Amino acid sequence: MAKSVSSAPVQTGSIPPQGVASRHAAPERWDKPFSADMQEVDVDLLLAHPLFVATDPRRFPASIPLRGILKNDARVRRFQRGEIIVRQGDYGHSAFVILDGAVRVLLKEPTAEQLGHRRQVRPSVWGSLARWWRRPRFAEQAGNRGAAAELELTRDGEARIFLQDVPGVLAPDRTALLGTGEMFGEIAALGRTPRTATIVADQETQMLEIRWQGLREIRKYSPEWKQQIDRLYRERSLRRHLAETALFWNLSDEVLGRIADATRFETFGEFDWHHAYHRGREAGERERLEQEPLMAREGDYPNGLLLVRSGFARVSRRYNHGERAESYLGKGEAFGLGELISGWQGQFRPLRHSLRALGYVDTLFIPTAVLEEHVFPRLTPAQLATLTQGLAPEPAAPPAAPEANSFLEFIVAQRFMNGRAAMLIDLDRCTRCDDCVRACAATHDNNPRFIRQGPESDGVMVAGACMHCVDPVCMIGCPTGAIHREGLDGQVDINPDTCIGCSVCAQSCPYGTIQMVALHDAAGLPVVTEETGAPIRRATKCDLCIDQPSGPACVSACPHDALVRADLRSSENLNRWLHQ
Amino acid sequence: MKALTRRRWLLSLTTALLALALTAAWWLAGNALRPADLYTGWLLLGLLLGLAFFNARKKLPFLPLLAASTWLQIHLYAGWLACVVFALHAGLRPPGGRLELVLWLAFLIAALSGIFGLWLSRWLPPRLARSGESLVYERIPRLRHGVEAEVLALVRQAEKETQSTTLADFYLRVLAGYFARRPPLLAPLAGDDARHHRVITELAALRRFLNPRESVLADQLGELLEAKRNLDAQWAGQRLLKLWLFVHIPLTYGLLVLVGAHVWLVLHYAHRL
Repeated sequence: MAKSVSSAPVQTGSIPPQGVASRHAAPERWDKPFSADMQEVDVDLLLAHPLFVATDPRRFPASIPLRGILKNDARVRRFQRGEIIVRQGDYGHSAFVILDGAVRVLLKEPTAEQLGHRRQVRPSVWGSLARWWRRPRFAEQAGNRGAAAELELTRDGEARIFLQDVPGVLAPDRTALLGTGEMFGEIAALGRTPRTATIVADQETQMLEIRWQGLREIRKYSPEWKQQIDRLYRERSLRRHLAETALFWNLSDEVLGRIADATRFETFGEFDWHHAYHRGREAGERERLEQEPLMAREGDYPNGLLLVRSGFARVSRRYNHGERAESYLGKGEAFGLGELISGWQGQFRPLRHSLRALGYVDTLFIPTAVLEEHVFPRLTPAQLATLTQGLAPEPAAPPAAPEANSFLEFIVAQRFMNGRAAMLIDLDRCTRCDDCVRACAATHDNNPRFIRQGPESDGVMVAGACMHCVDPVCMIGCPTGAIHREGLDGQVDINPDTCIGCSVCAQSCPYGTIQMVALHDAAGLPVVTEETGAPIRRATKCDLCIDQPSGPACVSACPHDALVRADLRSSENLNRWLHQ
Repeated sequence: MKALTRRRWLLSLTTALLALALTAAWWLAGNALRPADLYTGWLLLGLLLGLAFFNARKKLPFLPLLAASTWLQIHLYAGWLACVVFALHAGLRPPGGRLELVLWLAFLIAALSGIFGLWLSRWLPPRLARSGESLVYERIPRLRHGVEAEVLALVRQAEKETQSTTLADFYLRVLAGYFARRPPLLAPLAGDDARHHRVITELAALRRFLNPRESVLADQLGELLEAKRNLDAQWAGQRLLKLWLFVHIPLTYGLLVLVGAHVWLVLHYAHRL
């Protein structure tokens, strides 16, 4: 797109006098409370509840009082028996505490249909042909679309999903019971990870739901809550996470337990990083870098290992007056290991790189002493040599020019390393024939699910197609769970039957790849609501042709090998394609 | 060796060997008094139908009929082979009959347009990529209109703020015509940037008449001129990349109709004979 360069010139007297200016209240943290229904009396009841009796309100700063948190960052919800509270795999932004009643954690996951998900089955060739034959004449035709049986909308528009076959699924031998006072959902809320289990109301249950911002503050200022949340995390998730980390393989449960006890939880960056990302896109690279929270500084001596639990971090080195990205770390990757081992071997070295949070990063900090006692002695000489490789002082050869890493810099600056299936177009090969766009339209209701335009670097364009992100912020806040991750290959898909067109996902997507489209009837007329006459819309995006027998139509339709869906977490495949 | 280069060598070698084998077979069949032209004719018909199916495959993206890139490779090398078979079948000189002459010319133009398209699709995209931001063809007229409106607003602003008509005069004398002009059809082949550079040079020559405020606006004008240059380059390049297909594809369908007539005539008279 042509860049607009006609920025308004600064003119003397261009700022209107105060009497003329429109007045708005300065934006404040609690301008948008979690629920408009929370009243002072509800807060009083909560403060008198055993959950909060031990919480000292005086520990909270005057600007963020406990009362304010409960009023603005929490809400009280009632669930009926069989109602799904959270679903495994969904992305949530809140934790739940049972005020009264009981819930069941499903130990055996029900079918996708029982949870209100759509089961994806790749059709046969004849099935595809039949669907093409029956294709609608108009784009985005409503057809037989309607709310799924398990979806109910309340009077205030809140979506509630009920489990199908409640007695069968909630059988005691297939579930675990949680009662009054117990908490769940805190891992997903604070760690930005998918829900690890599906939880269903076992009876009429009253719950306190706290959104992540409030939970973070309560954990910060209340030692009792911090202790409880950290204990839950250690019990439910940390050991498993450590056991899955390559460095800690083959350690006994006892040793893992000691490491887990010594581990500290640290978070960097804004949870709603996509808002900062939108702001940062306008800024230059230097300002953007300055906005990235520093997690570890080049030249400092490390006192522990940083393990990325979720999110991404930029690994960079100073280059004259700037910093250049050398790589990025994602979930499960460690920072500072080589320097720590070198120090253990008697050669203390400072960190060779800085580490900066790209968006929201959740880390585990494991102190050096624990590693030196339990982990390093178990490593073989070959492993130690590999891990400390490249730590020796560099020869006097000039460093590589920053241009050499320009594509990596581009990926990091645009936060594209989040993409598991980014659409990359080699502009040196692309003839702009739009066969990819036509193929997409032909396989998706006559409406292409992407735009062949986007940021470019080194002759490669990252087109405006859903990247099926590692950290799909679009899934946070979907009221019906219509946008979800498919279990098989991890595609992020939207169930058209449960999408209510609220556009939360479209607004959250940092890359603008979700489009809200108006639905049409068989005659091509717009479909509107009975009450207001407003057009009914639904969210659409690339689904990686999950229901096509030949895979992504855009890739197979490109005659020039110019288009690929690339996992940007791994630079190996990317480099192979770039230099094919 | 890079993967795509290796593929190109491999397929080229295979096609050349096939062409040699076919030529040898044609020669041997001729010497053995077999109907070699009939064999090459049927082979050519098969190749033409196969080549034409590439376009049909594009209309059926939901069917797993091999990737379009595989089809293009088949299309390219089968196309080269078809040229060899055509030369064996029809000879290198124009035939005598009217229908045969039209058929001969139609094949020749379809083949040449294909070769031109192949060259264009390899030569032009890197130049478009280096020209500037890649744009969606259908959006370019709207973007161009936006740039034109911005230029006009900028010139008016300069006149209003600085009480000077230097930029306004320049607009009337040079810019209005420059922005109204659309690049000619073959502009991408000619590297048609000369006019743009002339306008930029003329704008630079005006600098001595501009006050500081006008200079700032002239800088913005320069950026809009650069935007217009890229819009023209993208538009003209993409137009050419699309237009050659408007020759190649209809001609192919026309050729198939003529081939049908040719086959009918051949079989008809062969039967009578």
